[in-house]
Amino acid sequence: MRHINKYSARLFFVFLLSLLATFVFSSLEGAEKYKEIFEKEFLAEPWAGEQIEKSSCIECHASDIMKPEFRNIPDEWKTSWHYENRVSCHDCHGGDPKDAAMAMSPQRDFAGAPKYSDVPEFCGKCHIGILKNYLESGHGKALRSKGTGPNCVTCHGSHKIQKASIDIINEGLCSKCHSYERAKTMKQALFLTEKKIREIEKDIKELKAGGVFTEEKEKNLFSTHAEFRTLFHAVDVSMVKERTDGFTDKLNLLEDKIQNTLNELGFRKNFSAFLMFIFIGLGVGIFLLSKTYKS
Amino acid sequence: MLHRIKNWLEIRIGLNEIIKTQFKEYRVPRDINIFYTLGFVAMAAFIMQAVTGFFLLVYYVPHSNHAFRSVQTIMTTVPYGWLFRMMHVVGSNLMVAVVFIHLSSVFFMGSYKKPREMTWIAGWLMLLLVLTFCLSGYLLPWSQLSYWATTIVTTMPTAFPYFGDSAAYIMRGGEYVSGITLNRFFAIHVAFLPLLFVSILGVHIFLVRRIGISSPPFGENAEMEWTEYRHESHSDGVPFYPHFVFREIFMVMIFVAIMFFIIAFMPTLFLPEDANTPADPFRTPAHIKPEWYFLAPYQMLKLIPNKFLGVAMQIIIVAVFILWPFLDTKKERNILKRRLLLSAFLISVAVWIILAIWGRYS
Repeated sequence: MRHINKYSARLFFVFLLSLLATFVFSSLEGAEKYKEIFEKEFLAEPWAGEQIEKSSCIECHASDIMKPEFRNIPDEWKTSWHYENRVSCHDCHGGDPKDAAMAMSPQRDFAGAPKYSDVPEFCGKCHIGILKNYLESGHGKALRSKGTGPNCVTCHGSHKIQKASIDIINEGLCSKCHSYERAKTMKQALFLTEKKIREIEKDIKELKAGGVFTEEKEKNLFSTHAEFRTLFHAVDVSMVKERTDGFTDKLNLLEDKIQNTLNELGFRKNFSAFLMFIFIGLGVGIFLLSKTYKS
Repeated sequence: MLHRIKNWLEIRIGLNEIIKTQFKEYRVPRDINIFYTLGFVAMAAFIMQAVTGFFLLVYYVPHSNHAFRSVQTIMTTVPYGWLFRMMHVVGSNLMVAVVFIHLSSVFFMGSYKKPREMTWIAGWLMLLLVLTFCLSGYLLPWSQLSYWATTIVTTMPTAFPYFGDSAAYIMRGGEYVSGITLNRFFAIHVAFLPLLFVSILGVHIFLVRRIGISSPPFGENAEMEWTEYRHESHSDGVPFYPHFVFREIFMVMIFVAIMFFIIAFMPTLFLPEDANTPADPFRTPAHIKPEWYFLAPYQMLKLIPNKFLGVAMQIIIVAVFILWPFLDTKKERNILKRRLLLSAFLISVAVWIILAIWGRYS
């Protein structure tokens, strides 16, 4: 111990004590209060996690004053495709989520829940192309004439809406109203194009993981996919078959672009690896050269 | 041609004498180890950052509406723009690592002791400048990652009472990180910091050459008392050129090879998905984390249940390290003979690593 300098020993103990005090303090029961304040002030706002704008719709619906059957709506919405794409309560139902007093006022365009027969127009405010094709389809005509045909919610659900896929067309769902045969033919007509879309989605994910900005490709795929879905809502097998080639061409073009980018990534990898070997070689050369000067 | 240029310079500045006195006759200790080359590697890394940064500057647009797009243009359209950007990104991270290891090895070998206190302080100032470089450069791509990581860091000064909010306001140029913040960080990154860094680097190199390289403390070298200025000449050592220069260049080659290895096989190591998404001030990404070199302070800040205490403690720790040569006045340089200091050093390194890993996965 005689080697130990008294100053560094003191400093070391101060350092250790500070660390110890920090960790002991943070584990004390009383520190919980500070932790809470700290997290509120420093970690929760505005950058610690997924931020959801304050919404009186959500606050009210999640509270105990709400009827039990409506209380799960915010939780259901949080698992939905709408939530992922930042479509909130007021985007469909109107109203003002920032003003609790006026949240459900007609003056703020509050529409509330639509009647069964009004659901297509309700969703069609955004899904314009789909609404048009749906209204011309057997489904839409049945709803219009008898008021009993399937509407959007029948197949897609309401607040828990998931990303649509052709799996929605299934025997269990379709055979509630009619035989599955015709729906099955439709599913078969859609299958190849849907499969291609899935593959392209996978490729885009791969590009993203490789550090490529894919916004343009994603938008391109999204619009083609949306157009294709719009077509399906006409529930017209021959029309789908007729126009499938057009979609396939568009998707092939996109696939080519993705392939080019994947090739470019491959080139970058090879070129960087080549440079790496060049510098390893130079390093070895310099090391050997330095050995000649050793003496 | 080369001979004519040399001759031209010889007549005017006495080039041969400079080469003779500064390279061939300048000697370094015979038992010098590989860690002594890291200062040169860090300087080479800085030069690479300056060169690649210049090429990026040609195409980069420092405006919040165009910054992200211009970076994407560099990555996809500008011929070999991706290479320069990747070298800049990966090189900056490796440079931080090299400077960390350099400072740790200087500490471990007791080279900060009298008469090299100023060299140590200049080294620390350069580490802080390198981190400021990283911080200011991080915002420039205007991605989700850069935007929110900058929001985190610019929130830190608010921990201080009285002036904290004003300091954060000045850094951001407003209440939130915005286009004004981008302009400020850009100006600091490309104009202010390089000048300051080069100035301190000049002082650092001057001090190293003026005092002479310190010997490793592990041999039989007898420590001499420093009562007046003298140059530690190592008359029994080896010539700086070619012996030591080759070792330095060898280490630079290793550095560059590691950089290209990461670019080739781990291109997203420092560029996760959020670094590839345009900044959206209205959408905070989940689980945003600072870069690896800020993870330990970040985790420490999360653990300490009072934000003023947290930030103040970090400033104190940095101040203790900077002023360490004045606090540790014992003559013994061999850390292996000073068990308590060795323990403190190892514990500090271990705590830093644990906090960083904890911060990454918590």
